[in-house]
Amino acid sequence: MIFHSLDFVVFFVVVTAIYWTLPHRGQNWLLLVAGYVFYGYVHPWFLILIATSTAIDYGAARAMEAWPHRKRAFLALSVVSNFGMLGFFKYFNFFVENVHGALVVFGLDVSPPMLRIFLPVGISFYTFQAMSYTIDVYRGELHARKSLADLAVFISFFPHLVAGPIQRASFLLPQVEKRRRFSIEAARTGFLKICWGYFKKLVIADNVGIIANKVFALSEPSFPLLWAGVFAFAIQIYADFSAYTDIARGTSRWLGFELTENFDHPYMARSPSDFWRRWNISLSTWFRDYVYVPLGGSRAGGWTWARNVLATFLLSGLWHGASWNYVLWGLYHGLLLVATRARSILPRAEQARPLRAAAVGPGLARAAIIAIAQTAGMFALTLVGWLLFRETELSMIVRDLSLSPFAASAADRQMALYLFLLTFIYSLPLWLQSLWVELGRDAEERRQAEAPSVAWGRVTLQGAACGLAFAAVLIFRSTTSLDFIYFQF
Amino acid sequence: MSLLGAGRGAGVLALAALALLTLLVPGGLRAVDARFGVQGLPATYLPALEGPRSRGAFDPAPMQEIARIRASYVIVGDSMAGTRIHTTRFEELVGRPVGDVMQAGSGPVFWYLALKNWVIASGARPQVAFVFFRDTNLTDVMFRLDEDYRWNVDRVAGEREDEVNAAIAAAGGWRRRARSAVERSYGADRVRLWMPAALTDRLARSLVPGRERRARFLHEMNQRFDVWHVRPMDAADVSAPDDELADFDYYVNRSVLPLMLRDARAAGIRLCFVRVQRRPVGRRPPAQSKALQTYVAKLRDYVVSHGAIWRDDTGDPDLTIDMYADGDHLMTSARPRYTEILFQRVRPSLQ
Repeated sequence: MIFHSLDFVVFFVVVTAIYWTLPHRGQNWLLLVAGYVFYGYVHPWFLILIATSTAIDYGAARAMEAWPHRKRAFLALSVVSNFGMLGFFKYFNFFVENVHGALVVFGLDVSPPMLRIFLPVGISFYTFQAMSYTIDVYRGELHARKSLADLAVFISFFPHLVAGPIQRASFLLPQVEKRRRFSIEAARTGFLKICWGYFKKLVIADNVGIIANKVFALSEPSFPLLWAGVFAFAIQIYADFSAYTDIARGTSRWLGFELTENFDHPYMARSPSDFWRRWNISLSTWFRDYVYVPLGGSRAGGWTWARNVLATFLLSGLWHGASWNYVLWGLYHGLLLVATRARSILPRAEQARPLRAAAVGPGLARAAIIAIAQTAGMFALTLVGWLLFRETELSMIVRDLSLSPFAASAADRQMALYLFLLTFIYSLPLWLQSLWVELGRDAEERRQAEAPSVAWGRVTLQGAACGLAFAAVLIFRSTTSLDFIYFQF
Repeated sequence: MSLLGAGRGAGVLALAALALLTLLVPGGLRAVDARFGVQGLPATYLPALEGPRSRGAFDPAPMQEIARIRASYVIVGDSMAGTRIHTTRFEELVGRPVGDVMQAGSGPVFWYLALKNWVIASGARPQVAFVFFRDTNLTDVMFRLDEDYRWNVDRVAGEREDEVNAAIAAAGGWRRRARSAVERSYGADRVRLWMPAALTDRLARSLVPGRERRARFLHEMNQRFDVWHVRPMDAADVSAPDDELADFDYYVNRSVLPLMLRDARAAGIRLCFVRVQRRPVGRRPPAQSKALQTYVAKLRDYVVSHGAIWRDDTGDPDLTIDMYADGDHLMTSARPRYTEILFQRVRPSLQ
């Protein structure tokens, strides 16, 4: 089931209405049934996978506690089975294709055993989430749960099941286990998030997505057209993915849950490390805690540290899809991190002054120019990354990167400007929100901390904004409904 | 007054106010439309799908051409037909005039309307009309019916197409009815007709001053992004069929297939449905899901039981990968060969 379908709206209203009439145990059982209905709505056989993953992780975690001297073996069982399923469904054909390619190089052209494998949506997300549970139990940071139902709810919690944010067991499981109370404040803020999420998906992402798709379908794009398309894709992927997160967080609040934030205005980042603190935060921290740190993190320094960064980003790229362009994208970001830290080309985010501080302190003009230049520079680097991400053929990437800005016709330049401005107009609310938060972040945080109340004037403004968002969805909703991009991962 | 300060009651009120405003604000769309919208637009021939709009004109030329050549055989379809059939070679093989109403980027609604409003209306009474399709396209009434493709349906649609409209309404089910009801209640269906276009027009106007220059710019842009300038695989539209659409029993009566069979029979035209082979993988035809195999078997039984000829290219050993250009399209040089293969395969049924 997808968020932007009427089926989901009806489903969510019915589930929420029943949910709050039930006692705690009943709520959990309802969430479990709802999660399985949500996930198996189109392809019921997907449920076999998620149920198998849940059962194995439940058993492995319990066994780790029952037989601590063999806990490494039980962790291996969990890891192999989870990654085995993920690997088969997501990477089997990729692996076979590449083995076949290698054999052809050596003169052995055998017919590869390609399978028509249908990638179950969200498998990468719930697999990583389930893995966090068994790894944390193995590390002794979490105790194994006795209730299979609670663990199953944790893994199949429908608001974030197919596109995250990936929740840690230590964060979400306690919420599953404790009694939940309906909070008007949570419902109100959840409602706002849902409205904003639908607006971002249906008005911004889907419309600029059409521009990106048109450009990336061109057989011979020119330099300006290509980069107008990359800009459109950058907006699309952010609006699309963050929309899913917002709707997930908003609907969760209506059910008494809080999910972690996944985006923090990533295009305001001023360095690669800053970007990765703002983009897909739940996945970045997963890789940090379960790959980068176990590899040694930054403890060793020098080449070992660089190797750890590159390995982590390479795997992160591969997580996105079974294609070399994702590997390249991961590697590119890894190299950016290594290069900027090693050579101090750009300041690390922790050293950079917040934009707002830069805009009001002494030396205002200089600080503001530096801040804007760093943000623009990082955005340009991010765009190069999105080109690698969007262009699935390596030959096309080479072709795209070799395009000359001087070879484009005047007509192409004008078209590119038109598409760029159209994308910018659609994405204006996104930029304004990012700027507003970035510039007023301190004041906003303080206000929320000191006075957690909302005035009527603010409610009226929020209602009007939601109404305008709804009107915009009715008018600008693209007739070509695009799936959430991260569904394919 | 703050929410928390006033307690839970005020909180509930604030939430209700938020929801109410969300539902009320779009009510202003009617006023916006009355002030800025184009009034007096004609009703559409597909009211289940869209509000009133200015449509493209009906194109009588293909109908006149079929009548002129007194076509004995007619080819209907999209680029699957266009990149397979070599009309001249087909005429040589059958020894009779062959007409075609092929349209790249068309779907079953176009095919049905082309059969009804061009082929049958021509009065030529061809013996057989060949309808080319891929997998589940025949019963997927919404295939290529969104705004991007509406222009080609305009070319072939009459003033009213009530039966097609009914099929679309049935296929959309409660979801489309609910969405239409919401859009109509706010007048959003009318505002949709001009506001997004006004945004892009405004932008074009500010970038390219002068009516003629702007018209040229928009024409050039349409050309730059047309099907001849896109990557072969994109032009070929090779996405795999969705198993959800492979529910023959559900979709057949929510499609134009029964109308196609009924009207052709009434006009004395025999239909021949040609399911083209998707791009082979290596030396084999592409894998088909179990749902798709079941669907195709049911589709075959259905059309044959209604007197039509059935031809499935899938698995034909003579249709090899070297005949394919991009995606599911065949190479220009392979068209005569394909036409001969098809003729050989369906010849017994044509006699």
